[in-house]
Amino acid sequence: MSLLAGQILNGIATGMLYALMGLGLSLITGILNIPNFAHGALFAVGAYLLVTAVNVFGNFWIGLVVAPVGVALLGLAIEYAGIRRLYAAGHDYQLLFTFGLSLILAEAIILVWGPVGISHLPPEILRGGVDLGFTFYPKYRLFVTGVAGLLVFLTWLFLEKTRYGAIMRAGIENKEMVSLLGIDVHRLFTAAFALGAYLAGIAGALTAPIRGLSPGMGVDMLGIAFVVVALGGLGNLLGAIAAGLLIGVAQAVVAAYWTEASTVVIYAVMAAVLLVRPQGLFGIR
Amino acid sequence: MKKESILLLAAVLALPLVLRPAIASEIWIFAIFGLGLNLLLGYTGLLSFGQSTFFGSAAYVAGWLLKHYGINVFLALGLGVFVGAASAALVGYLCVQRSGLYFIMLTFALNQLFYFVAYQWTSVTGGEDGMPGIPRPAFLGIDFGDPLAYYVFVSTLFLLSLWIMKRIVESPLGRILQAIRENEVRAEAVGYNVARFKLAAFVIGGAFSGLAGVLYAMLFGIVPLEAIGFVTSGNAVFATLIGGSGSLYGPIIGSFVFIWLSESVSTLWARWPLLLGVAFVIVVLFLRGGIVEAWARFWSWQSSKQKT
Repeated sequence: MSLLAGQILNGIATGMLYALMGLGLSLITGILNIPNFAHGALFAVGAYLLVTAVNVFGNFWIGLVVAPVGVALLGLAIEYAGIRRLYAAGHDYQLLFTFGLSLILAEAIILVWGPVGISHLPPEILRGGVDLGFTFYPKYRLFVTGVAGLLVFLTWLFLEKTRYGAIMRAGIENKEMVSLLGIDVHRLFTAAFALGAYLAGIAGALTAPIRGLSPGMGVDMLGIAFVVVALGGLGNLLGAIAAGLLIGVAQAVVAAYWTEASTVVIYAVMAAVLLVRPQGLFGIR
Repeated sequence: MKKESILLLAAVLALPLVLRPAIASEIWIFAIFGLGLNLLLGYTGLLSFGQSTFFGSAAYVAGWLLKHYGINVFLALGLGVFVGAASAALVGYLCVQRSGLYFIMLTFALNQLFYFVAYQWTSVTGGEDGMPGIPRPAFLGIDFGDPLAYYVFVSTLFLLSLWIMKRIVESPLGRILQAIRENEVRAEAVGYNVARFKLAAFVIGGAFSGLAGVLYAMLFGIVPLEAIGFVTSGNAVFATLIGGSGSLYGPIIGSFVFIWLSESVSTLWARWPLLLGVAFVIVVLFLRGGIVEAWARFWSWQSSKQKT
């Protein structure tokens, strides 16, 4: 019983990370209307940047601030130099471009950090576990759940309560109208891509001490981010959280009993949900 | 005979003279794979980023039966076509109910589902090591172990596939698919069940992928894990787009370019995916419309230069 409870808590921590990934992808996909196949690579870059930043500054907290900002800047550059020219092109070329980028970034990671996986310890203060009565729970995962929850909340606050957030939501609904109202849509697109990249980067940075790093981590996460968006719906904050938690918990519970199936179950759950509800969990668009 | 047919026959005959038969075979196999994808991408307007699901599934199933039960070549091919079509029906059923970006993401996510099953089910698939030891059994005294004999076999099947695909895209079904590509809402309004036709295109595309998968497994004697991975799906999209998805012959040209590129470069440098990624980006930024169009543009530029 305590094993199951512990696994569910584990699942909530990873599920919140999945939700962050899905949320970032959802913003990019929803506003820019492109399939972003580089989203997983941005996640991986975030994780690797964290390790380097921690090595350079000798401090986890500085790394956690710096790494996602680095990914956001990378996102800014990608949007400005490449994706901006492709809004008029079809999804096929947008896909090929972002897929090409993800190959380049994954190979760049191998060239810079090496092909072998790296493990990374959480900071001193977050090592060890806390006694929850029924189970011991790693402090770091508790921290991740909290930070991810806070970020989702801040994103919600930004989207729902600020003027620019409202413009972004309007951009998901109807870009033409937003542009007719005299808003610079291109700047909106750049901002959305940078914000999405930031969320992917911080998800990667937070994941590094849990799962370690490997050049293939980006692609694995890309598939998961797609699952979250397909189930939660584009631009749907609650949908992203619900979908992230659903697959995170399902994965953790299955992992306790049948480790080999723990990745397959993410996609199996998606297929099962779509079988019953083809329109996704909340059925928006 | 038309100009295209003569050119193709000449290419089929000349290719083994200039390239190793194995690479020449690979080109036609990849072209069959591309034909299947192009029915979706070029004719129906469906961007599937999961074609390796059907390619790989067929290769594993037929490869396993070839290896352990020594089934004959044509049974293996038939099974591959069936497995390709059946897995495409499963995946397609879930995907065609969503459109646009959701559709693309679902094809990729379901590709990952099949990939991870193959990755973990090591007792059958060999996991990361792949499934080696797939024979090319002789049929009616023809030894397919001989690379040239296998080349003749593969290229004949390719020509047959091309003929069938030509018939499909020129049939009423093909016309309806193109109508869906042009205007989905109107096709629906005219009374066609769009989802069902999309599924039909998906299943046909899957059958072609399955055929290619089995031929691939027999060509190399192994099903590598990558055969069912996302990179294979991406390569198919790249080859189809670089050839030009607008025509029946686009994926064939794309297959030439892609296989030639990968065979000549991948042996030089282990970081070949980096160059592949750079190639994708360059094609998208500068060569949109594919080689066929770039060629045409080049010629019109040349002739305009001569005039002035």
